Amino acid sequence: MQPKQGKMKISTALLSVMLVSSIALTACGSNGNDSSNTSNSTNSKNTSNSTNSTDNSGNTSTDTSSTNANAAANNSGNAAAPAEKVTVEFWANKFEATTDAWFKKWVDSFNKSQDQIEVKLQIVPGDAWAQKLKAAQAAGKAPDFYTMNYGAIANAAKLEQIQPLNDIMDGATFDDLYDNIKDFVSVGDKYYAYPMLVEPSAVLYYRKDLYTAAGLDPEKPPTTWQELIDNGKKLTQKGIFGLATGQTAGDLGWSSWGLQYGAAGHLALTDDWSKADINNDGYRAVINFYADAFKAGIMPKQALAGYADASPFGQGKVAQEISGSWAIGQYRNDFKNMLDKIGVAPMPSQNGDPSTTTATLGGWSLVVDGKSKHPKESAAFISYLLGGDPNVMIDFFKTAQFSKFSPRKSVDEAMKADPAASQDPWRALIAEKVIPFSKAEPIYPWDVSMAVSTAIESAMKGTDPEKALAKAEKDINDFIAKSKLAGTNPKQAQ
Amino acid sequence: MFKRNYRQDNGVAYLLLAPIVILLTIFVVIPFIYSLKVSFYNWSFYQPSVFVGFDNFKFVLEDDLFMNALWVGIKFTLMVVPASLVVSFLFANIIKGMRSKGASFVKTSIYIPTIISGIVASIIFVFIYDYMGGLANYVLGWFGSEPRAWLADVKTALPSIALPAIWLGFGLTTLIMLAGLHDIPESYYEAADLEGAGPWQKMWFITVPLMKNIILYLTVTGFTASISQYELSLVMTGGGPLDTTTTPNLYILNHFRNDVMVGNSIAASLLLFVVLGGISAIIFKVLNSEKAIDG
Repeated sequence: MQPKQGKMKISTALLSVMLVSSIALTACGSNGNDSSNTSNSTNSKNTSNSTNSTDNSGNTSTDTSSTNANAAANNSGNAAAPAEKVTVEFWANKFEATTDAWFKKWVDSFNKSQDQIEVKLQIVPGDAWAQKLKAAQAAGKAPDFYTMNYGAIANAAKLEQIQPLNDIMDGATFDDLYDNIKDFVSVGDKYYAYPMLVEPSAVLYYRKDLYTAAGLDPEKPPTTWQELIDNGKKLTQKGIFGLATGQTAGDLGWSSWGLQYGAAGHLALTDDWSKADINNDGYRAVINFYADAFKAGIMPKQALAGYADASPFGQGKVAQEISGSWAIGQYRNDFKNMLDKIGVAPMPSQNGDPSTTTATLGGWSLVVDGKSKHPKESAAFISYLLGGDPNVMIDFFKTAQFSKFSPRKSVDEAMKADPAASQDPWRALIAEKVIPFSKAEPIYPWDVSMAVSTAIESAMKGTDPEKALAKAEKDINDFIAKSKLAGTNPKQAQ
Repeated sequence: MFKRNYRQDNGVAYLLLAPIVILLTIFVVIPFIYSLKVSFYNWSFYQPSVFVGFDNFKFVLEDDLFMNALWVGIKFTLMVVPASLVVSFLFANIIKGMRSKGASFVKTSIYIPTIISGIVASIIFVFIYDYMGGLANYVLGWFGSEPRAWLADVKTALPSIALPAIWLGFGLTTLIMLAGLHDIPESYYEAADLEGAGPWQKMWFITVPLMKNIILYLTVTGFTASISQYELSLVMTGGGPLDTTTTPNLYILNHFRNDVMVGNSIAASLLLFVVLGGISAIIFKVLNSEKAIDG
């Protein structure tokens, strides 16, 4: 009798404990969701600040200082006007130090300019971005607005992760955009993001002095892939590599889009996303280009830096570097002594035709979270920063050393009056010879791009290019079947 | 009298157990049940979640990369666990034979890697393996060898990551082994000496059998720890080249970061849980833990 009773007791005790605690937990959960805006936003502030400091433990000091600045601004804001001021949270990807400083400068200026809205900026390092945002979304504490690259907008809009801006922003700010850029940020008849900049993903930088030393004409940059590789062979010497570009699948996934476009005339999926479209000579050529360049021994066996970082060229370890237009800003800010040795040219194409696409236009925009409680206030700041006074944006393009390009007509108009911008030869070269032939980044899922770039990397590492291509085709078609991708292209469905 | 005492004891026991039961319920039982539920949904944070049955599991099981990640995890474990057991067994024996002052110095120094975080260790080893100017290639240069791309070569990437994993773990395993060695009564060795046993015989017939439970414990914990390792490959290679260093947890993390829906990564975690539990059970079965002869 006794033991049995004891057992009964244990089980009932366990059950009641579980019940009580689960009730308590659900109560907590619903409480968090239903609670009024103010308490919720203070909550999210605290947690996000603390996570920020742990995330950044290995990172630069600018981030921690931003947290401190945020906390300070937050405190003073609360003290001054506890009830009236609406606090909106803004997460920005960590870009170049100059861009981070520009964000901080104009957030401060906005906060001082009025007493209705307090913008709280948090700069999040790129490698922590995705999981930090996911975790915040899962907890219902996503920031009110944040940076997003063009490629992600259509899908985020489809899944209602971001809000349409038509009703919360002045229509005139959108009329100011170039027509092709309007397409980047809209799905159907609605705008889901406001663009900040565009930048072509592939430009060739080469060392004029090394060209002369190797007996090459420094005024005649290569125009075909073959020339690029041949020059690379002549330029390679001990301690200096002839060519550097993306060479891991992760980097190749996005940095090779332009070459894919140029060689094949399209990207890796059919327009209705129903099957892979890579079993053709164009894609074969792209894979062979990378494999040939790697096997020619002119590239380092291990990338000296990621594709987005052009510092190995600035440090003199590389004679020809393919990188995005943003590298100009990096050279001008960090490698001033190298500037007169640098030649800039469009990325060569397969056959040398200068009108062939070799770069995609990527860039960043600001979006308002689908669950933001203060969409209007968020939009007000976005209008102020990106869509208002052209001088705000000109200030940005200046700090970026004119390595990025404006999506707004009025900003370009105003910039014409600026002597530094109008007389910049590199800016002119990219504006005239690269951007007109560039295409928009694809919006299909990243898995597809990874399948292609995995094929490129495996061909570089010795797999037969035909086999690599066949595997990529199968992987993409499998992915389409499993994730029911066919017919879901948000741009086509509208 | 007896009965009443018994009941009182029960009450106190429940009271004392309550905190841990409540904590376990909140932090283990409820999340586990919740994740089981979520794994059957296309879980979205912005739209109503859609019930999809076993689709997430099917998706993961049909994914070559998941199977590849499991295989990578197992290869990685086979490199790390036996090597670290052998190395720490040697170190433990050496320390046991040392005089106390020297022994405590060695014990402290081999424990240092254990308190270094995996992230810091990865960064240190990234510098060592650096293609231009890394320590490893510098040493190779003495022998006139070409520099090697340790972390970018399909063949060397995984062993290159296994090395810091062994380095990180062997301090702790050595100390546990050492404690086990000290537990073996000296009289056994003296008896063996009288019988004329050599050092190998002593090790094989006395040390190893009596260390069996310790070795079993270290194998199982080492297995779980190294198959769930992900920060080394995350920092050092990002899972590349060509997914040769994508461990199961890195696979899950990548899906969590990149996928629009989260159900997939949760299903993968649950499947990993099943695999881990299964393999641990097999190890226990094969190495059958027993009470030591001496008690």
